[in-house]
Amino acid sequence: MKLRVLVAGMVSTALLLSACGNEAESDGGDNEISLWVQTSSESPEGQAMQGSVEKFNEQFKGTYTANIEFIPRGGGGGGYEDKVNAAVSTGTLPDVLTLDGPNTAAYAESEIIAPLDGVISNTEDLLPSIVEQGTYEDEMYAVGYSESSVGIYYNKEMLEQAGVDLETLPTVDEPWTWDEFTQLSEKLTDYYEVPAIDMGLNDNSEWLMYAFSPFLWSQGGEITSEDGRQAETVFNSEANMKAMSFLQHMLNNDYTTISPAENGFETGQYPMKMSGSWTMEQLDTNYQDIDYDIMPYPVSPDTGELVTPTGSWQYAMSTATENEEGAGELIDFLTSTEAVVDISLANSVLPSRYSAIEEIEDDVSPQMNTLIEQNEASGKARPVLPEYPQITRSFQQTISGLPYYEDQAGLQELLDEKAKEMQTSLERRE
Amino acid sequence: MDLTKKQTRLKRWEGWKSSSLAFQAQPFYFLLPAIILLGLFLFLPALLTIYYAFTDYYLLTPDQRQFVGLRNFTQIFGDPVFLRSLQNITIFVVGIIIFQVGMSLGLALLINKQRRGNIFLKVAFFSPVVMSLVVISVLWLYLLNPTDGLVNSMLQAVGINAQPFLTSPNQAIYAIILVSVWQGAGYQMLIFLAGLQNIPGDVYEAARIDGAGKWKSFLHVTIPLLRPTTTLIVFTTLIAAFKLIIQPMIMTQGGPLNSTMTPIYYIYQTGFTDRLVGYSSAMTVVFGLLIVIVTFVQRRFAKEDL
Repeated sequence: MKLRVLVAGMVSTALLLSACGNEAESDGGDNEISLWVQTSSESPEGQAMQGSVEKFNEQFKGTYTANIEFIPRGGGGGGYEDKVNAAVSTGTLPDVLTLDGPNTAAYAESEIIAPLDGVISNTEDLLPSIVEQGTYEDEMYAVGYSESSVGIYYNKEMLEQAGVDLETLPTVDEPWTWDEFTQLSEKLTDYYEVPAIDMGLNDNSEWLMYAFSPFLWSQGGEITSEDGRQAETVFNSEANMKAMSFLQHMLNNDYTTISPAENGFETGQYPMKMSGSWTMEQLDTNYQDIDYDIMPYPVSPDTGELVTPTGSWQYAMSTATENEEGAGELIDFLTSTEAVVDISLANSVLPSRYSAIEEIEDDVSPQMNTLIEQNEASGKARPVLPEYPQITRSFQQTISGLPYYEDQAGLQELLDEKAKEMQTSLERRE
Repeated sequence: MDLTKKQTRLKRWEGWKSSSLAFQAQPFYFLLPAIILLGLFLFLPALLTIYYAFTDYYLLTPDQRQFVGLRNFTQIFGDPVFLRSLQNITIFVVGIIIFQVGMSLGLALLINKQRRGNIFLKVAFFSPVVMSLVVISVLWLYLLNPTDGLVNSMLQAVGINAQPFLTSPNQAIYAIILVSVWQGAGYQMLIFLAGLQNIPGDVYEAARIDGAGKWKSFLHVTIPLLRPTTTLIVFTTLIAAFKLIIQPMIMTQGGPLNSTMTPIYYIYQTGFTDRLVGYSSAMTVVFGLLIVIVTFVQRRFAKEDL
């Protein structure tokens, strides 16, 4: 009897401990390079990655073998980043890992990823936004393998019907100012009696930072000071007030809305939509009736400078690697022109290298080329800050808070409050 | 003679019982699995949280954490978002206690009578409880869409203006209360139903003989006799309500203007998104203490029922 109790206790304890046990890490010595990526092996992106890794193994046969492990992320990047965080605590990071652009600073500051001095060949071929995104304190830590951009999608038929001459619409070389864009929105709103454009303002997520920060930059504003220590007086500056006034004006006049109808543009209810390259694929596969084109971002009337969103996932070398050379070779290979071309075509994303742009220009749609051209000319990376999560949240709340402040005084109050919040976040860890 | 034999045997047995370590240890073998599980997943994390609350633990540099004394705690009480989240959760908890408990009692009374279609009603009222909260949140997100949601269409059909619901800082928390009540009331309904069916019929009969009508017997028989059930329900609902996170996470992301930010959601965000484990642990400790206090106060008030 006693024995049985004892055995039962031991068995359950053993079960418990084995459930908590770690899976063994694949650390196969000098030749094997482990790689973690955030996509699923089923996705077009994952398959392109797999293909590039196979090519790498072919080329470096006998020298290195790269093993790719797919760790699909949940909504908001959760699953993958949790795994990276856990690996940091247990010291089980792979040799090479992927990370989202805004994480560069935090990972570099915490010495999770190592500088890529002299590892990447042909760095001048990389788009400036890619270099900017992967650089922390003057050193390059990560390289984006693709790029992204946002444009103003418009329904050609709806614009023509409302009396807009499509020939007069802006181009990347001659973008429209906010005033001109507001006039178009007014015309469309009056004609169709719905918001002229769905700007994705119901999406309280990174989208708001990604898509709306370029308006500030176009006006000459900034989110934090250059050294990333100051947000008060920087975020609530006059320039940012002007940029936010443009958005506030769009909202107050119902040219856009915080609660757009589901798929309003895709189903022909709204004449315009502000969105990224991913919408193109959706339109081409699910909503083929919509005859659309893309125009560039509107710009500040004071500066006329076109600034547009960018951002991508990147490859970086973990500081835990014992095979720096092999890991470096792998990153260089995965961000080479060939690999970038492969992933751009497979996943309908923008290329991160000039040479790759040249190669695919003729193979992609004119709409995609507009975005590529815009990205090349005006892409700007989001701030590279260790405190990025808090800064982006305050920024997102500023944008989603706009509809609740009617006038200039209210807007100033909102910006002051959020600037203070950002300042607190910047100082919290000091 | 027999009796003394038995007595000596009993004495010997008791002597062995009190002296033998092996015997005394026996119950602990049975407890061992539970103690290990609780220790690993409850006590240890709780103790670690208290320890981390006094450090500057940053998620990405676990080895470099340092003791910072009360710094985290002084920051918490100057953190407008945390203070706002406490305000929000107070509104939520009070709303839930009033509406969810009221609603579940109403539903229980409705299905307590024998009538056709009772089973259907029971299933209908209970089915939201077994559904995933995430699914329910997404569902209501569509229903409450200010532009083309079903709820607004219905309101407009009876001549009420379209409401902003989740996109209004003044309405969002109440919309979340509504969804939560709709989702959760079915569970308490079942407990109330059990309580109602435990009230003996003769008490009602006596009341009727004394001239009590339906309303009077509800007020003076049903309500007092349901008191222990009500206490239990208020207790469990209250604790559960403090833990609100899924609905705002899916439906509003804490907005607009932090009007639906809850303490647990904010703790989650600062810990896992902002990576400030130390700060987040300190908030957990403060919020945990608040819940402990509320529970103690509640016990005081409900002493006779427990």
